[in-house]
Amino acid sequence: MIPNTDNALRMLSQRMMAQLLPDLKSNYSISDGFMIGLLVNAIADEMAEGIHRRVEDIEDMRRILKSAPDGLPAGSAALLDAPLEDLRLATVNERHDALTRLLILIQTRAEETDDVTLQAEIWGYLRRHAARHVITAVP
Amino acid sequence: MITLDEVSTATAGFLAEQWGKAVTVEAIEKIFGGASRETYRLTLNVDGKTRGVIVRRDPPSSLIDTERELEYGAYERIFPTDIPVPEPLFVSNDPAIMQQPFSVMAAINDCQTDVSLLSPEQKQQLGRHKYDLLGRLAARDPLALGFDELVPVPSLEEAAALQLAYWEGVILDDEIHPQPIAQAAIRWLKRNMPPPAQKLSVVHGDYRTGNFLFDTDCQIQGVLDWEMCHLGDPLEDLAWSLDPLWSWNDPGLAGRLIPIDEAISVWESASGLVCDPEVFRWWRVFASLKAIAIWISSSEDFESGEGKDSILATAGWVMTERQNRILLEYLAPESQSGEIEA
Repeated sequence: MIPNTDNALRMLSQRMMAQLLPDLKSNYSISDGFMIGLLVNAIADEMAEGIHRRVEDIEDMRRILKSAPDGLPAGSAALLDAPLEDLRLATVNERHDALTRLLILIQTRAEETDDVTLQAEIWGYLRRHAARHVITAVP
Repeated sequence: MITLDEVSTATAGFLAEQWGKAVTVEAIEKIFGGASRETYRLTLNVDGKTRGVIVRRDPPSSLIDTERELEYGAYERIFPTDIPVPEPLFVSNDPAIMQQPFSVMAAINDCQTDVSLLSPEQKQQLGRHKYDLLGRLAARDPLALGFDELVPVPSLEEAAALQLAYWEGVILDDEIHPQPIAQAAIRWLKRNMPPPAQKLSVVHGDYRTGNFLFDTDCQIQGVLDWEMCHLGDPLEDLAWSLDPLWSWNDPGLAGRLIPIDEAISVWESASGLVCDPEVFRWWRVFASLKAIAIWISSSEDFESGEGKDSILATAGWVMTERQNRILLEYLAPESQSGEIEA
């Protein structure tokens, strides 16, 4: 059993880049291998933090959407109130996508109605979202 | 999947037939990066003489879904001008030769694309040449070059709208997850359409550091990667070349070479055109949106399994994340302007 899968990925990536790549013959393979190594490091970070980041996004979006229910289509309440069924990546991604679509909807409406307060709220979320998902493993 | 041996054999056979001479391959190397085409550098022996060629082969998937004939046609039309490009030799759509369409160009020797080790003086020289060339391209009459036989000719009024519609379509077709920042950018661009273009120009479509070869005197010897070329507003190329993504950790430098103001000034002198800051803001937002569209498209290719190249995954994930931050800085209410770090 590997309890800390993210660390395992980082170690394997380091081993590949430091010990295996130098033995490759072509520049193409070395460059490709190096790129894959960097991506594996980024995936390690995502494995450690990805679900947490998405759940934070979901809570953030729920708060904004609940404060602006006018522009939401019928049936949206379930998305806003229902807890996640589980924390599998697919489940969390699905909810994240559904809420993001609603967010786009109300942002469009806020622009049309010149609701600067709601616009600022949404841009604030987008900024927090972007900060949460910064990829540092690839220079 | 094609092996180096297969590319080597196919190229030698094809060129021997075209030239009517004995051709053997002395060396072959696949070039990493780009990913719009598989690119190979071959050293040939042609009737006892050494000659270098570049073979560009369509992969099953690429960052940009384009026709190989477009890039080759651009090379044919630009090669006779004072804008340096590789000499186009042959293009073939026959899948029996190399499984996919491919083109062959003369290699440009003793040049490089990497600017990271240049001195400040060398960067200055290279940067000025880069923007002088772009200005000269903008000044050219695209119809006199024959580009109307290659690509549609938009009116000055519709050039911007056509490009926006195209890349909006790419995002809608290829997005795996909803893209709130890109969608906000599209709405902003539609609300703030620019005036008609000053003139119709050949737009390279991917004019940036990394897409040209330069020699030891920091003179550009070949502008590469014309697969997104089209006719349109020349400010489009200028804005694309100045996107913060290409500046990495030097946000004040155009493509990590010279200050942005200087780049624009050189371009204006060479083109005889004006870079109006208000109009240019639209093109800079557009440039980042177009980049996002390309990264999203590559992400879709990787996710679907159509393309397995690691550069598709990098573009689709890492570049999308960085480009989103760039667009945020352009569009968020509290940061309406200013250069930012990619």
